[in-house]
Amino acid sequence: MPSPGQSQGASAPPRVGVQWLTPDSTNIFEGTFSLLHCAVKGDTLYRGVYAVRLFPVRWHDRFISLRHFDENATDVQIGVIENLADFPEGPRELIRSNLSKYYHQQVVKRVYAVECEFGLLFFDVETQRGREQFVIPWQTDRVQDYGKNGKVLIESLGNHYIIPDLAALPPADNRRFTNYIYW
Amino acid sequence: MFAPRERDFPRMIVGDIPPSLNRDAVRLAVGDERVIFSIFSDLTVDGRPHDVWLLVTERRAVVFERDPRGETAVRGPHAFEGVEDVRTFQTVGSAFLQFKIRGLYIDIVRYSNARRDEFNRVAAQLLGMLKGEDLDLGALSRPSDSICPDCGLPLTTRGSACPRCTAKQGVFWRSVGLMSPYRGFLFLLLGLMILGVGLDLVPPRLQKLLVDRVLVPRENMDWLPWILLVMLGVATVRGIFGILTGYVSAHVGTRITRELRERLQRKLLQLGVDYYDRHSAGNLMSRVLYDVDFFQQFVAQVAQGFLLNVILVLGIGIILFTMQPLLATLILLPIPLVVVGTMLFWRYILTQQRRTQDSRARMSRSLVGLLSGIRLVKAFGQSRHEEQRFSQSAAYMQQSQRSLQISYRFYNPIMAYVFGFGGLIVWYSGGRQVLGGNLTLGTLMAFFAYLAMFYGPITMMTQFTEWLTGFVAAGQRVFEILDAVPSLSDPDDPRPLPELRGGIELRNVTFGYDPYNPVLKNVSMKIEPGQSVGIVGKSGSGKTTLINLICRFYDVQRGEVLIDGVNVKDIAQDDLRRHIALVLQDPFLFRSTIAANIAYGRPEADERGIIDAARAANAHDFIAKRPIAYDTMLGDGGSGLSGGERQRVSIARALLCRPRVLILDEATSSVDTESEMEIQKALNVLGKERTTIAVAHRLSTLKNADVIYVIDNGKIAENGSHEELMEHNGIYAKLVRIQTELTRLELD
Repeated sequence: MPSPGQSQGASAPPRVGVQWLTPDSTNIFEGTFSLLHCAVKGDTLYRGVYAVRLFPVRWHDRFISLRHFDENATDVQIGVIENLADFPEGPRELIRSNLSKYYHQQVVKRVYAVECEFGLLFFDVETQRGREQFVIPWQTDRVQDYGKNGKVLIESLGNHYIIPDLAALPPADNRRFTNYIYW
Repeated sequence: MFAPRERDFPRMIVGDIPPSLNRDAVRLAVGDERVIFSIFSDLTVDGRPHDVWLLVTERRAVVFERDPRGETAVRGPHAFEGVEDVRTFQTVGSAFLQFKIRGLYIDIVRYSNARRDEFNRVAAQLLGMLKGEDLDLGALSRPSDSICPDCGLPLTTRGSACPRCTAKQGVFWRSVGLMSPYRGFLFLLLGLMILGVGLDLVPPRLQKLLVDRVLVPRENMDWLPWILLVMLGVATVRGIFGILTGYVSAHVGTRITRELRERLQRKLLQLGVDYYDRHSAGNLMSRVLYDVDFFQQFVAQVAQGFLLNVILVLGIGIILFTMQPLLATLILLPIPLVVVGTMLFWRYILTQQRRTQDSRARMSRSLVGLLSGIRLVKAFGQSRHEEQRFSQSAAYMQQSQRSLQISYRFYNPIMAYVFGFGGLIVWYSGGRQVLGGNLTLGTLMAFFAYLAMFYGPITMMTQFTEWLTGFVAAGQRVFEILDAVPSLSDPDDPRPLPELRGGIELRNVTFGYDPYNPVLKNVSMKIEPGQSVGIVGKSGSGKTTLINLICRFYDVQRGEVLIDGVNVKDIAQDDLRRHIALVLQDPFLFRSTIAANIAYGRPEADERGIIDAARAANAHDFIAKRPIAYDTMLGDGGSGLSGGERQRVSIARALLCRPRVLILDEATSSVDTESEMEIQKALNVLGKERTTIAVAHRLSTLKNADVIYVIDNGKIAENGSHEELMEHNGIYAKLVRIQTELTRLELD
């Protein structure tokens, strides 16, 4: 088994620009230690691959960068999948499962309460995994824009909470939120 | 108030297993091996929130995942034999502890960002164990510096003071506290106001006297001029008091805002470089320029508005109750409605105020970006796009201001209308009493005169919501800066550094701008005093980060940076930087003369020194050719000079400081080859007297360096002289060959 990034055959010519990964040129499968592997025609076999969204706000299943760590432990891009839907179901699910490991963000669906004390905001919210409470410092750098009308909240301990679209919150929840997060 | 989710059991157990795990199940997994430590995680590998424990024995690690029903799944055990490396792999919102086995990193346990601190320490200890080093149990069980050890509240930044345990007063009282140095003036204001209110109360009394004792009975006609004379005298003194009050409040208000601006500026200078990585210049400017103005309004209102009106309301209220208790009670009937209305309105309007102030900040941010990048905008023909973008900011500001002003324009008349009811009731009841002969007309007229004086301040007080909400919102934004904790602090008892020899050492330094994503990994290097050192590497390899740490713009997460054998953390920052001069790739010059820019680090330098430094930096000739030479005024950022000229002025500025350590971060990258050679010659001569560290992509500039360090992926990959590295035939030799080839192609 070749090491990550090592070529199986003759050395490939140096690439210019992004290598676009298509179903014809790319074989994605689960290999050693159940890790994601990726073989690219005319290139090489990459082991221990992971996937990253290049436009995580705009596109969930498009423009996905496949990456790996080479023998020097340098993070290297293998190529980019323009549209995951073009791939057969097996590889598609493998990539989606890998993406779910890379992103761990709670999506806030309801805002039940926001209270301010000691310069901290205490949130009581509903996320996709149930009711949760968390604390963020009431500072502008702790709540950043997420797309055109969304916000990402970085709580005191570093966890991420996303509100993809403030307008989609019930009006009372929106008021509770914007009462403090006005920027 | 609800508490943040906290676990009531220890998250790190040394020498035992957690009570929630079945000992038999653990024995099945690890046999009779002694558990060295157990650490809690909050996620399964696929991201579900679970109670997960990683147990570590001398020979292996095993993971127990306990689901909410109490069922436990075992992952592993993972034997340490064959593990080549241990690392943490940070993803978005969570991270993994990974073992490298047969060249591949496999996930051992996943944890949320809340557990990063502990797992980073675990990874370091496991790596040490693999190398046969002793376990540092103290490091493992050290409590997290992200949570208050006393109350469990998450801290604003790592290691900062707990906001609950060191609870501060609210914005209002803190702002009042800012005025404490002006106590004398404030008491003077208060005295003037009380006297003024006392005078305000006199005319209606005289009016009553005039009606009841002179006009209605047609008696005591000789009193008329005297009463009018007293009224005139009262009005004159009242006017003088008004002028004095205005003068004192303007003096105090402007002094407070000036001092607050200076305090903010001092604080901004104290804050570390990392603070500016997170906050935009436009936003900070808006706070210093606009939000502080609310403090002046606050003083003016307290002095001339709110306090005055409170005193008036109290004084007139007492008179009204003494004159006619029944009528006085009737005028208070609308008060509960006003109180409830104001409380509801307050909650609503505070958000509007904050949004309006944010719109100013956005506007500033947008303008700062536009003006500082004006050449780029023009070069890319994006004026129209920028117009649209600015128009969006302007529209947001207009909408928020309109919404705010409309709210007040509705609220204030409604409150005045509600108060008006009290007057109608008094007319009805008082009129009936006069007609019934129970009250004199003069008393009723005096009562109405006082009533007008009573409603005036009451109506004004309803409008205080306007400035008070603005003030509270602005105060919160101002105190956010004042309360920011500088990431770097000077030691209580700093080591003095009168002389510096220029020895620099990095010992096992690990650092990342995000502490969980290191840019430099366990880097060690030693630079002797007076040595000339080159630093080479790909973009993003960590070269500039290394410089940032030597200058102590950031503190290392692990390891030490030593200057002449003293840890930089033990030296006062100003003292340290006095000995270091830095020339950056993108030099910044201030809006001032060329001479003042060169003398920036040594304002006391004389003309001779300035010329010498400019000559050494190969800047003298182009400066001398300018019509007013060294007195040439430069625009913002040094506009008026070419890139290369700016660079040479910045090198002269560094040389004039006569630093013991000179750092050149791609300093000659924007000058032409001829100038570069000239500068290089000067630097070679000057470098003999000091330690010189040069980061360069153009390797020819480093050929004469005593030592060249090659940084790759956050580690030192190679080091040695040019000849040694060429002989080694590694990364450096490859880079030299590439550059030689490029130069040859350019010449062809």
